[in-house]
Amino acid sequence: MPTPIIRIQNLTKKFGNLYAVDHLNLDIYDGEILGLLGPNGAGKTTTLLMLTTVIKPTEGTAYIGPYDITHQTDKSRTLIGMAFQEPKLLWVSTPWAILDWHAKICGLPTNERKKRVKWALEELELWNDRHKTVHVFSGGMRKRVEIAKILIQRPKIAIVDEPTAQIDIVGKHKIWNMLRDLRDEGSTILLATNELYEADVLSDRVAIIHKGKLLVCDEPKKLKDTIPGGDVIEVVLKENITQEHLAELKNTKRVVNILTIKPNHLKIYLNQAEEILPQITEFFMKAQIPIATIQMNEPSLDDVFAHYTGLTIEEAQTK
Amino acid sequence: MISLRKVWIVAERDLRIFLQYKFLLIMRAAWFLAQIALFGLVVNKMLTPEVQQTVGGNYYNFYAAGLIIAMLYSTSVFIGYDIYEEADHGVIEYLLSVPVTRKELVLGRSIGGGLRSFIYVSPMLLFVLYIIGVTHPLQFLVAFISLFLFAFGVAGFSITLAVSIKSSDGFDILLGVLDALIVRLSTTLYPIAYMPSYYASIARFNPLTFAADLFRWGAGIESALLTPPAVAVFGIVLFFSVFTFLGIILHEKRLEGGSWQ
Repeated sequence: MPTPIIRIQNLTKKFGNLYAVDHLNLDIYDGEILGLLGPNGAGKTTTLLMLTTVIKPTEGTAYIGPYDITHQTDKSRTLIGMAFQEPKLLWVSTPWAILDWHAKICGLPTNERKKRVKWALEELELWNDRHKTVHVFSGGMRKRVEIAKILIQRPKIAIVDEPTAQIDIVGKHKIWNMLRDLRDEGSTILLATNELYEADVLSDRVAIIHKGKLLVCDEPKKLKDTIPGGDVIEVVLKENITQEHLAELKNTKRVVNILTIKPNHLKIYLNQAEEILPQITEFFMKAQIPIATIQMNEPSLDDVFAHYTGLTIEEAQTK
Repeated sequence: MISLRKVWIVAERDLRIFLQYKFLLIMRAAWFLAQIALFGLVVNKMLTPEVQQTVGGNYYNFYAAGLIIAMLYSTSVFIGYDIYEEADHGVIEYLLSVPVTRKELVLGRSIGGGLRSFIYVSPMLLFVLYIIGVTHPLQFLVAFISLFLFAFGVAGFSITLAVSIKSSDGFDILLGVLDALIVRLSTTLYPIAYMPSYYASIARFNPLTFAADLFRWGAGIESALLTPPAVAVFGIVLFFSVFTFLGIILHEKRLEGGSWQ
């Protein structure tokens, strides 16, 4: 049985009458990357801010190692490092000054500090700009400075909030590899993201959170296996489907569930899609609803999210 | 247990940030030069020898010493603006997440806010001492140490105000008004004996009065109108203690409660 290094117990944060985080219970194990997946406003960042003791919980608590975040705030922070969603940088500061100070306050000895700061700046392609003030930086460059903080600190528990937002695809892969290395060196990583692919490729386990509540938490593969029916057919129609046709389609053999993304855009969850695909296309031809595109997919974390909420992650975000 | 090393690391950060405000630093130095090279000289010429005598023989020296205290005050309060700037950029959240206790953080900021002001004002202070001349080094040392405490106290005062007032505009306006009142209702620019009694009764307890009169005493300006040095030292120590303590308590309370969210 793996050892939990973070134990979240009934953690709750209320802003007025709104539950930003609603009685959250979750164990995070030593040495894993746990992806906290949910749309914007799901309560991910609020959870992270409570774990880093930046804000106080309204109710419940969490243990960072042996330390209770409500009573042992100072000790909790000795185990934690956080890279924020929005880079927290004073615009008159330079990357070198920001990272050097961060390393210093985290207690790194001088030689090691200089070495790690140089390494992180070089790896993240910021070395040449290390003495420029961050106000001339692009969003992606600022984000890289923010991420560099935890790469230098190498904390026991690294908390990263949307680590690759605003970063190009090459940069994303580089940061993902650096986070994996950090995990391999002994850090536990709590990754908050609304990017399904990021959660899927990077996380050992994924916790799906919506409206402040934990819906499910498991390995990405196991989560996908929980989708009724093993396959997904995604159909985009040239016309909207009627309720009668939708009901009829639902009754088709081996169709387990249908998610209506739009009246002309359906996700059909079913068993043995290869065999039933001709039947599905025939159904639309008979109903005289022309198909624009049709494709067969493996279930994704988006499907897992949709299974538990009835919404795609984009819909949940807009609602 | 407070780690002095961490307090110093926090203070050092404020020192470095202050050096980034090049425009502000140049403007404040230009203001000082204008006051000392123009205003002080002109007013000095306007005063009769009798008046000059009451302030130690030379109003210009009296004024130059007071000007240092006004400078020390106006640069020490700048830490409050930094706190708002950091709140705008979310840097406060970052500072709250690093492995440093709240007490170390606030103490470090008070010391950093005071120390950077002291370092900035030092060349001006040396220039003023050159004009006045120091006759009693020991006396000056007492005054010098008290001025350190005064600068830390002002930084604590500014932090207390910054965390008590939630709007940066409100803080800006209040500090502008306070700056005008605190400096004018003190002996930084003129001696207390020439103030109407209702102003004098306030000015007598103003920390700027204690600091300005103590600095004059330390620099060897001899005038019966100055606050007795023991009273001034006591006043400064009290001011420093109250506002450093208040700054720590309020800052800690506000930050822990997540009020900056």
